[in-house]
Amino acid sequence: MKRYLFIISRSPYGSSHALEQLEAAMVAAVFDAKVAVLFRDEGAWCIQQHQAGAAIGQKTMTNVLAALSAYDVEELYVCADFLNTYQIQTEPTLNVMPIRLPEQRALISASDVVITAQP
Amino acid sequence: MKYALAVHGAPYASEAAAHALSFADALLAGGHSIERVFFFHDGVYQGLGAQVPPQDSFNVDTVKRWQHLAAQGVELGICIASGIKRGVVNEAEQTRYELQHPTLAPGFELVGLGQLIAAINNADRYVEFPA
Repeated sequence: MKRYLFIISRSPYGSSHALEQLEAAMVAAVFDAKVAVLFRDEGAWCIQQHQAGAAIGQKTMTNVLAALSAYDVEELYVCADFLNTYQIQTEPTLNVMPIRLPEQRALISASDVVITAQP
Repeated sequence: MKYALAVHGAPYASEAAAHALSFADALLAGGHSIERVFFFHDGVYQGLGAQVPPQDSFNVDTVKRWQHLAAQGVELGICIASGIKRGVVNEAEQTRYELQHPTLAPGFELVGLGQLIAAINNADRYVEFPA
């Protein structure tokens, strides 16, 4: 079975990019694929704590991320540099591993399929 | 080789369609096969049937070019979740949501996200054309 990596690179509510990427990740997991998700660039904002999507009539991104484990999507990564640049406070209930660029390169190399949908 | 393609860019907003169409033509000319073209994110607008391309531009009728690809047996699958929320609906969805008109161009079909994953799983290569 193929190893999938979904890269989320846009902010959680600025467009439907992140949500649609996650929907695809869940479907890949339903197909028994091994699925990892990497948050980078403004996508790193997806894991910020204290989000309240209901305030603007949207699903709270961190709640969607919490549901990933029900699909056996357990491998979540965030770009360590963006985490520092934006001073993001990670939602504590999420298990997201910060990784530097060389590790991201290795993660991409180790994946059979990389779905980015980047601008 | 078998290829799965994904298009993420909207018409006139990005080069996604132009690149994907040229790539698809080259694949078929080179004896490769295309498992499916999947339209995701804003790429679903590629299947909007009411597009009127500018008369003074060359080779920009992308809907016709997609349909030409479909006529060669290539499946054009539009993500149904991404599509219907953006107003790209076939007759079944038009009826279901009581909309005035279907908007999906002939040659395209609305499919689930599973069809993206199935195409990738069946293909040797996955190539995406971002926005």
